[in-house]
Formats: sequence, structure tokens, C-alpha cells
Amino acid sequence: MAILYSFKEGFSGFRRARLSSVITIFTMTISLLLLGLFAIIYRNTNSIIQSFRDKVEMEVFIASEADSAHTAAIRSALLNVPGIQSASFISKEEAAKIFKKEFGEDINAVLDFNPLPASFKLRLVDGYKNSDSAKVVYSALTKIDGVDDVVYRKTLLEILDRRVKVFIGASAAIGLTLLIAAVFLVSNTIRLTIYAKRKMITTMKLVGATRGFIRMPFLIEGMLHGVLGGILSACMIWSIVYLAKKFVSAELSDFFAVEAYFYAAMIAFGMVLGLLGSGWSVKRFISESIVLN
Amino acid sequence: MLVKFEDVSVSFDRHSILRDINLLIEPGDFVSFVGESGSGKSSLLRLMYMDLMPTNGVVTVGEFSSKTITSQQVPFLRRKLGIVFQDFKLMEDRNVYDNVAFALHVTGASSNEIKKKVVTVLTQVGLSHKRNAMPHQLSGGEQQRVCIARALVNEPFLILADEPTGNLDPGTSLEILKLLLDINHKGTAVLMTTHNYDLVRKAQGKIMQIKDWQVREVQLKQ
Repeated sequence: MAILYSFKEGFSGFRRARLSSVITIFTMTISLLLLGLFAIIYRNTNSIIQSFRDKVEMEVFIASEADSAHTAAIRSALLNVPGIQSASFISKEEAAKIFKKEFGEDINAVLDFNPLPASFKLRLVDGYKNSDSAKVVYSALTKIDGVDDVVYRKTLLEILDRRVKVFIGASAAIGLTLLIAAVFLVSNTIRLTIYAKRKMITTMKLVGATRGFIRMPFLIEGMLHGVLGGILSACMIWSIVYLAKKFVSAELSDFFAVEAYFYAAMIAFGMVLGLLGSGWSVKRFISESIVLN
Repeated sequence: MLVKFEDVSVSFDRHSILRDINLLIEPGDFVSFVGESGSGKSSLLRLMYMDLMPTNGVVTVGEFSSKTITSQQVPFLRRKLGIVFQDFKLMEDRNVYDNVAFALHVTGASSNEIKKKVVTVLTQVGLSHKRNAMPHQLSGGEQQRVCIARALVNEPFLILADEPTGNLDPGTSLEILKLLLDINHKGTAVLMTTHNYDLVRKAQGKIMQIKDWQVREVQLKQ
């Protein structure tokens, strides 16, 4: 009975105080929209950085005197180095073909022999695609008997690492500021809404309502505000993606595109924000005396 | 014994409000507490509905003692009391019926029970015809009647009325007093604070004066 009544009261509270409900939902929508846009930009920039990292490979050149047995031994030694995901062999002949493809000349015709060494192209495990780990892998590879030289895009990794550090630092600062601002804004708006109902809380206490009974309708109302704010902000983000696709460019639209679960997460986050904001705000007023000293 | 004060003192920031009060309220009593503004009349009632705890001594109301009661138990004490205020404390966003029904909703009463009890109590205070009116559509006297109806609906053993006629004209004040006396005649103890000595003269029952932090029984000259 009490739960049913609380739900009824929660929905009625929403209807009774239309203006403050609209203000709370609007505040929630704007806060969630900013946080949502930030999350999208962060996530997609991060995946662009990751795609650059994925392109980083190491090439291990084998000494010309290594026979096939030695080459097989080198291969297994390479695969034993921590951080190596796979190794694909490029024979001298294949290297010549690649040369021809890249330069348009047959190296055998130019020099009368093939100077290109056989090599292994190595793919790195995800956690090793940074300059520090790559250096460790590099040094382990050069120690393998029969390895002549190891090359990789060291400078690209170093630049990426530096940029990523700045990107993560700036993102954390902006994200945290946005989150704090959103929580502060939403909880203050809710607090003002509940402040207007302070007299009602006093009356509830007067007739013997328990703390839980008083709190429940406010939590339900807060949750409702959060869900609606979440839905509205999700709709706005969907519209931004749609409009970007239609009027700007497919690339921009792709950059902002998100999966369906992201919208669901925004609504869920709105609900949690509404719930916590109401919970915190109403707690203070429940603890007050009926007659203020 | 409904209410018992044993050497009760209350102070705020080292200022005494009440000092060494001993008091006994029995079932069926009608007690008027008189005294000047700030004498501690409201504090005395607050001690009874445990919105205020004694600095020293023990207050016992029914089965609840200020010494042992927990904050979770306070609502259950208040459900056994009917509290009436000078400023009515009605919920402005709902009608008369819902204001009175709210006191039953908090107890988890069924909707049939709520309907029956609310209509009965509104009839008792003469407001059944205004059950759909909003508080702002009522006169001060009518609002106080709603407040009394809300206080009565849980069939309390004690009514605490803090300056119930403070905002009302003399005629309406007398009507409210008659209503409280009527309730008292049906067996419910009523404790009322007021500084309206004319009203107190018309009330039967004990008169207690709060002066110099003490409570003592007095007789008023007619």
C-alpha cells in the first residue's frame, strides 16, 4: 500500500509542481548533453589514436647467412619475446616483389643480385604499442642470434605517447569539471525544488511519516526527472548525429556516431543523477526539527 | 498516566527554557498551558511529540520514553498523538480530504478504511461538505478544523494543540475551543497552549502557568 502510494505521490509531485519539474528536467538535459558530447568526443578520439597504434609494426631483418633451420629457430625465439602477438615471414623473393611494387624497378635487374634480406613482420600485443614497451621489445629482439636489424616507427610512437598524455590529462580535467558542474547544478536545482516543499515535509513528520515514507516520493520524482532529462539529451545527441550526416559531412557524422547502448547509458545515468540528487537534498530537510529553533 | 515529566530541564546555548519540570497528565484531562510569548509553552509540547529532547530528566508519553526512544520510533509515537498548530501546517497542494487522508496513508491503512475514517472525522468537525476544497479556499477557522480532523483521524490518545486559536478571531476561537472540549468529552486528553486568558476561562479543566522556567497549576479570577 505504502509503496503504491509513494509512486502515486511521486508522479503527482511531478504534476503539481510543473514549473520546477520543467526547470529540473531542463537542467538535467543540458548537463547530460554536455557530458554525453564530451564522452563521445573522448571515446572517438581515443579510437582514432588506437587505430594509429594498431598500424605500428616491427620488422626484424635476418642475417643473410641464416639457413631455413636457423630462420625457424629465429621465428620461435621472436614469438617467445613478451609483447609479440604474431610474426609473418617475408622471404628475400617476397621482399624483392615488394620493392618492385613500391619503386617500379626489379632489384635483380638493377644490381644483378638481390641484396634485400629476409625478414619477419611482427605485430605487437595491445599493451605494448607504446614507446617505452616498444623499446624493451626492441632490445630483446636485437639480442636474438641471427637477427641483423630491427626497425619500427619509433618517432611516431613517441609523438603519439606525448599527445596521448596531453589528451588524457586535458580530458580528465574537462570531464571532471563537467561532471562536478553537472552534479552541482542538478543537486542544487533539486534542492531548490525540495526546499519549496519543506513545509510539506514538516507536515509529513508531524503526522508520523517515517523517513523512508517521506523520502520515497521525492526519490521517485527525482528518478522521473532524470529519466526524462536522459531521454531528451539522448534525442538531442541523436539529432546532432542526424543533422551532421544530412547537412555537414558523413565523416563528421561518423565521428559523432554512437551505439544504441550509449543512449541507454545516458538515460540510466540521468536516472541515477536524479535519484542521488533527490536523496541528498531531501535528507537534509528530513533531519530538520518540526519547529525550527 | 499518559504523560509524565520527571525533573525535566531544557536549555539552548546555556540559556534555560524549562527547569526541573515535574508533570503528570492523566487520561481524559483537559489542560491549558498559559504564559507569555517565549515562556516555553511550545517547547513543553515539543518535548511531548519529541521534536525536542530534554537536556536533563525524562519525558514519558504513553509507552515511549525520551531516554530510550530511537529516531526510528518517533514517527510511531506521533501516530498516537494528534498535533494542532497555530499556522495549521496543511499541505497547500492537495484538498481537504487528501490532507486528512495523508495521516492515514503514512500508517499503511487500506483505501476503504481511509475513506470511512476521513468522512467520519470531517463530519465530526463539520466540514464534510468542503472535502474537495483546497486549503486556500477555506477561512482560518475552517483550516484549523481540517487540522483538528487530521489530528483526530488516527484516534490519538492525546491531542496537543499549540496556540490553536492564535490566528483566529474571538468568535472562531470559541468554536475551535468548543470542538476541542467536545473531543475531550469523548475521552481524548487535550493539552492546549495559549496566551488568550479569556479562552482559558471558558475552558474547563486544569490551568497550568509557565513562568520563570517553571510550570505550576493556577486558578484564574473570573
